[in-house]
Amino acid sequence: MKNSKKVFILTESVLGILVIILAVVMLMGRNGKELHKVSVIVENSDDNQWAAFRYGLRMAAEDQEMEISVVSTEGTMTLEEQQALAQQEIDNGADGIILQPVPGEDTEEMLKKIEKKVPVMLVESTASREAQNSSFPVTQPDNYAMGKALGAELLKDCGDNLKGKTLGIISETMEAQASLDRAAGFKEALKDQGTKVGWTAEGTSEEGSTDSLVNLPKVDFVIALDDTSLTAAGEYSAANDLHGAIVYGIGNSTEAAYYLDTGAAQCLVVPDEFNVGYQSLQEVSEKLGHSFRKMEDRETDYTVIRRDTLFTKENQEILFTMSQ
Amino acid sequence: MEKVKNRFFEYLNKLKPRGIQSILMISFSVLSVAVMLTLGVVLYIRFSNVSRDEIVETTRKLMEQTGENLEDYLVSMRQISDAVYYNVVKESDFSAEQNEIQEGMNLLYEANRDNLRSIAIYNDYGSLMAAEPVASQKEDPNVTRQSWYQQAMEEVENMHFSTPHIQNLFDDGTKGYYWVISLSRMVEITDGGDSRAGVLLVDMDYSSISRMMDQINTENSGQYFYLCDSNGEIIYHPRQIQISDGIFDENNQTAAGYKEGVYDEVFNGEHRKVLVNSISYTGWKLVGVIPYSTFTHGMVNIRYFIMMLILLMAMMLAFVNRLVSVWISSPILKLNDSVKDYEAGEKPRIYIGGSQEIRHLGYSIQSSYEQIDDLMKKIVLEQNERRKSELDALQSQINPHFLYNTLESITWMVEGERNDEAAFMISQLAKLFRISLSKGRTVITIKDELQHAQSYMNIQKVRYKNSFAVVFDVDEEIYSYCTVKLVLQPILENAISYGVSAMDEGGEIRITGRREEGTVILAVTDNGIGMSEEEVRFILTDSTRVPKHGSGVGLVNVNNRVQLLFGKEYGLKVESEPDEGTVVSIVIPAVPYTEENRKILEKGYLFGKNVIKKIEDAGKENEKQ
Repeated sequence: MKNSKKVFILTESVLGILVIILAVVMLMGRNGKELHKVSVIVENSDDNQWAAFRYGLRMAAEDQEMEISVVSTEGTMTLEEQQALAQQEIDNGADGIILQPVPGEDTEEMLKKIEKKVPVMLVESTASREAQNSSFPVTQPDNYAMGKALGAELLKDCGDNLKGKTLGIISETMEAQASLDRAAGFKEALKDQGTKVGWTAEGTSEEGSTDSLVNLPKVDFVIALDDTSLTAAGEYSAANDLHGAIVYGIGNSTEAAYYLDTGAAQCLVVPDEFNVGYQSLQEVSEKLGHSFRKMEDRETDYTVIRRDTLFTKENQEILFTMSQ
Repeated sequence: MEKVKNRFFEYLNKLKPRGIQSILMISFSVLSVAVMLTLGVVLYIRFSNVSRDEIVETTRKLMEQTGENLEDYLVSMRQISDAVYYNVVKESDFSAEQNEIQEGMNLLYEANRDNLRSIAIYNDYGSLMAAEPVASQKEDPNVTRQSWYQQAMEEVENMHFSTPHIQNLFDDGTKGYYWVISLSRMVEITDGGDSRAGVLLVDMDYSSISRMMDQINTENSGQYFYLCDSNGEIIYHPRQIQISDGIFDENNQTAAGYKEGVYDEVFNGEHRKVLVNSISYTGWKLVGVIPYSTFTHGMVNIRYFIMMLILLMAMMLAFVNRLVSVWISSPILKLNDSVKDYEAGEKPRIYIGGSQEIRHLGYSIQSSYEQIDDLMKKIVLEQNERRKSELDALQSQINPHFLYNTLESITWMVEGERNDEAAFMISQLAKLFRISLSKGRTVITIKDELQHAQSYMNIQKVRYKNSFAVVFDVDEEIYSYCTVKLVLQPILENAISYGVSAMDEGGEIRITGRREEGTVILAVTDNGIGMSEEEVRFILTDSTRVPKHGSGVGLVNVNNRVQLLFGKEYGLKVESEPDEGTVVSIVIPAVPYTEENRKILEKGYLFGKNVIKKIEDAGKENEKQ
């Protein structure tokens, strides 16, 4: 009699506990699960060159059911500014950070501090000069290969004869690992071709440097290693301010495409920025879903576009992502 | 493995219910759990079917609505195209009325600029004749190689809707590119009085369509809509770029082959419902995709609800089950407990309560226990009585009064020198005592009993100076049967005291013995004063009634002793008539005297009844023969 009473009380309490658990689960389910929030910090984020990247982020956020916020930034950032922004985002409840590292020695240190709080995914460039030493995962196109492809296109256009030709190389910065890789790839492609680098210019978009390209000595080819440089070079070329130099470059904005379309640029290597955005967020999302997972590097594609291939079906899609 | 299995079964065996309440509780619980689970599953299936149908129906309606909106939009584009052609271009000459044409186009463009990117007319060489909004044409847009131009030129009667593409015609200075859907048709244009073919292009802003589609693609549940043309080329898809990048797959080629309706398909291992809606004039298909996971997603709450319902019902049923099982089992348990207490030696009342059957059970158990108690008491009583009777018998063997009288008689005889008589008396007395003692046996032969009676009567006759006659009339065949010892003597004593002693002469006591149907009947008949009916009735029940100067052993005692050994159907029978005399018969079974039978009979009726029964049966058999 006593035993059965015990069993009865036990059964009722187990059922009662189950009811309570179920009620809690139901209530929690009704409140909706909190979406993971990821903040994106890139330089000059409102610029057109990030259109495809942002579109990629947006699509990934939809697919992964996450929330993203791209921090509005203008111009170049210092390390301190970037750290402050990252901290501010973490304080605002960001569960992960996607970040374009500021070139510099101390970036890695700063990132380590942030990483203690939330997972960090780099985009466009590694933080460390030596890619192997970088302890942070990065999503970027193969910069070296892009530089090399650009060189190969130039070589092809000149019938493999570049002897005595002079080049002007412009890049937003020569500090960033990405720019260095691109330059290295480009130089590798033109190794032993007898070309001469007339000048190398940095930071064309910065104030006070608007005339710089005009004042530089005449070269046969202007090689722009990033989108900002390419649009600057395209602008000069369109205005016939480049002393007839032909522009080759790496770019990912509709402006860049426009200069290609109008003949101000000869050849364009377009990194797949959509996938930089998409895959970086996907990687962060997977990390947030499985805490013990280690984030991995992701490498995205690039496309070589010329004026006559600008409107092929595939390239139209690239333009589509840039136009979002 | 085997060990684990054995342990499991051992555990199961241990779990076997032992009490009626557990059995009831478990059976009720199993039954109710089964019923609830079945109910839950059936409810869930029913709910999920209803909800699935509802989702499909809602989606179908939504798609119909969107399809109509799209159709409206496309119709308005066609109307613009018609208006440009019939109202503006057809009536005018491009050379002469360029301004009017431009104005007319401008009016139409301005009225629809939200949805339009541009309106343009090209001639059969691909040269731009007029465009709105006015913008510089690109250097070499290669119009004749663009698909919208080619389609219009190939099928001149139709209007053609292209798939979305980048507009590659004008340079408006924004350095941007527009994603458009081209509506092209061949038109006849008049230029300088000559009629020639041309192509009228209305470039619709893709964002108008994508906006419409985005509006319905807001749900987060996995369900989505896309738009493709009749060849399966995607016009709009929420994951357009992912598809071209190979991140996502769509079954658009198959969907293009579907007619309007609802289809079930398995794509990339995912079961899904596909709703297809055709957009008229264009051959486009609006496709809604509902993965089955969406249905489940919507059912999660219902699932929780049903689980909650089942749990609450389980709680309630457990409670009710317990109440019912306690209600049913408690009287049985109480009954069982009281029986156990009884068995343990206590003597509580047997529980009587609960349902009618259990009450009956209680009553019958109680009455059987009471009967057992009565029987036990009776047995104890009988044992006591038997002991008492035997003691009485023992006492009667050496009744001092009788002995005193007899010895006095002998003394007188010796004093009167009647030595022969004295010797006779002494020898009779000796015989009497020898049989009285009989080595302590209770059962003796009838012969010995008769001998005892004879000795007794001989002594009494001397004492009463032969005032009555004694006749022995006994069949010799019964001599060797068993009888209880000293049963005749008290009867004879009785016959003398109450029957013949008072008579002056002519008194006679007759002792008869014969066998009759397996029984032996010894009878003592006197012709004395007899008894009234009332006296006869008392003589076998009133144990106080004993002869005043006799052995002190009443007929009751004799009767008891006979019955103790042979059973209730045997014993004494008394018949008497006042002034006529009395007959007292001893009826006993005809058991042959052997050592074995004697021992069995001496243990009492309970042990001897088998022997007696056998004899009775044999007696009956003999009778029949």
